[in-house]
Amino acid sequence: MKTITKIAAGAALGVWGTMAQAADDVTLQLKWVTQAQFAGYYVAKDKGFYEEEGLNVTIKPGGPDIAPEQVIVGGGADVIVTWMAAGLAARERGVPLVNIAQPFKTGGLQVNCLKSTGVESPDDFAGRTMGVWFFGNEYPFYAWMASLGLETDGADENGVTVLKQAFSADPLIQGQADCISTMTYNEYNQIIEAGITPEELVTFNYLEMGFGMLEDGLYVLEDDLEDPEFKDKMVRFVRASMKGWKYAEENQEEAAEIVIDNDASGAQELDHQLYMVGEVAKLTAGSNGALDPADYEQTVKTLLSAVSEENPAITKEPEGAWTHEITDEALN
Amino acid sequence: MGWVVFAFGAWIAGWLVNVRLARGPVSWWASLAAPLVFGATLLAVWEGVVRGFAINQVLLPAPTAIAARMGASADLLWADFVQTVLKGALSGYVIGCGAAFLIAVAIDRFPFLQRGLLPVGNFVAALPVIGMAPILVMWFGFDWQSKAAVVVVMVFFPMLVNTVQGLQAADAMQKDLMRTYAAGYWRTLVKLRLPCAMPFIFNGLKIGTTLALIGAIVAEFFGSPIVGMGFRISTSVGQLTLDLVWAEIFVAALAGSAFYGLVALAEQRVTFWHPSQRT
Repeated sequence: MKTITKIAAGAALGVWGTMAQAADDVTLQLKWVTQAQFAGYYVAKDKGFYEEEGLNVTIKPGGPDIAPEQVIVGGGADVIVTWMAAGLAARERGVPLVNIAQPFKTGGLQVNCLKSTGVESPDDFAGRTMGVWFFGNEYPFYAWMASLGLETDGADENGVTVLKQAFSADPLIQGQADCISTMTYNEYNQIIEAGITPEELVTFNYLEMGFGMLEDGLYVLEDDLEDPEFKDKMVRFVRASMKGWKYAEENQEEAAEIVIDNDASGAQELDHQLYMVGEVAKLTAGSNGALDPADYEQTVKTLLSAVSEENPAITKEPEGAWTHEITDEALN
Repeated sequence: MGWVVFAFGAWIAGWLVNVRLARGPVSWWASLAAPLVFGATLLAVWEGVVRGFAINQVLLPAPTAIAARMGASADLLWADFVQTVLKGALSGYVIGCGAAFLIAVAIDRFPFLQRGLLPVGNFVAALPVIGMAPILVMWFGFDWQSKAAVVVVMVFFPMLVNTVQGLQAADAMQKDLMRTYAAGYWRTLVKLRLPCAMPFIFNGLKIGTTLALIGAIVAEFFGSPIVGMGFRISTSVGQLTLDLVWAEIFVAALAGSAFYGLVALAEQRVTFWHPSQRT
């Protein structure tokens, strides 16, 4: 029934012409589960922005054990959302990923410590227990610790104890860690909802500390870009996606509802998604979709500053890891 | 192309050798050689296919790459082994099996416990690991103690059920005989009923070995210090160092087989009198 109404609505709007042509299939693999972190893509799909571009987009949610880099190389997706550190690491390991667009201008990764533990600045980290996310999200942390001269293998006067943190704020709330990783748009809110006030927290934003790394960008395989048809598809995909992002920034309540509608797991709640849309909008606000080469340089510099066994992201300067070809065409 | 031919050739050669072995006279070395040849063939075909079709190492690394990684990261693998197998799995196994054994004896002694405790054991067995693990991490912290707790939960029930069953294995005639010898409860238990229960108890112990390893590894997925097999497997996938993941899997398989083998060996020694051990 839903399809029929959609087709009818499409015909009524006069976009029947584009629909009659066989729409090009595009599969997008997300980095994480369905949530407002990806609002722009869901909005673009629901509001018909993809359809207008003659695209039939499938959005595949990710999860804690899904590495988008692996999905794309296995042929499970045309384009993926991932963090640049993970994308560059994959590139060095033989998955030639190229950044074609960067909807997130700034990053939401931060470290939160309880003031009551006595942490006030990075100088107080020695001897502490810190929760870190792995699965490709640990690179900024190790870069930061290396720059502070802190070992990461134990809690003596020049080291920190690292915990593999699950994707929740529990370790801080339960006092198992002095500091934990949070995203501004997700776990930070969990801490607040657990009854800890912002005044009780010390927050370190990776970006402000100078260890920011570009977060959610769009990546494709280098070989695919040689195909003009594929390139054309990506141009239309990026154009529609950015339209979706900008729409989400301006219509946050609607965007949150669209995300809820698309959440097949039924796990997300509207209040939380609304909060998340608001926070994510702050991160996408400065971007028109084109990657700023300066941001790229900072990410690479940060990664290279702390190469070690724990932080094997990249060992040499990557080449050809991003392109403006798609965004130039999509945005002009 | 050459590698594909190599894979095909290795398959044919391995097959022919094993057919010969199977048709030849039965001997000790032939029964040992057959699985070895099969395993070697599998590895050769794997290597040939991965190289021949240029499969990205992110999807499937070649056996030689995995072996090279095992050599290069031996220290890391050993530290993970100590953390997960020796600390997490073994201590949980000993505690879980030990507790289940004692409670089984208690259940056998006091019938009212049978009605009260067995359903609880049943209930615990039905708890899914992925539900329990985060809670146990919350209770016992991130280190191996919480992993041991998960293992305790996992091995407890098979051990309990088997032991309870085993304690009922001695038949009435044998018990009557003990009674005519004026043997009390404890003597009957030690001299007759526990030996009769041994095949059952070892069943529980054997099932527990693999469960213990699974429990300890999976529990590390839900928060852990930065050491351990489960930690390494889950994080190395994210770093796309799949050769390290396979190296860990290999170590886990080896440890699991050795653990099971040791318990099976002990069983052979203890229950030599049982019909199933006759050759």
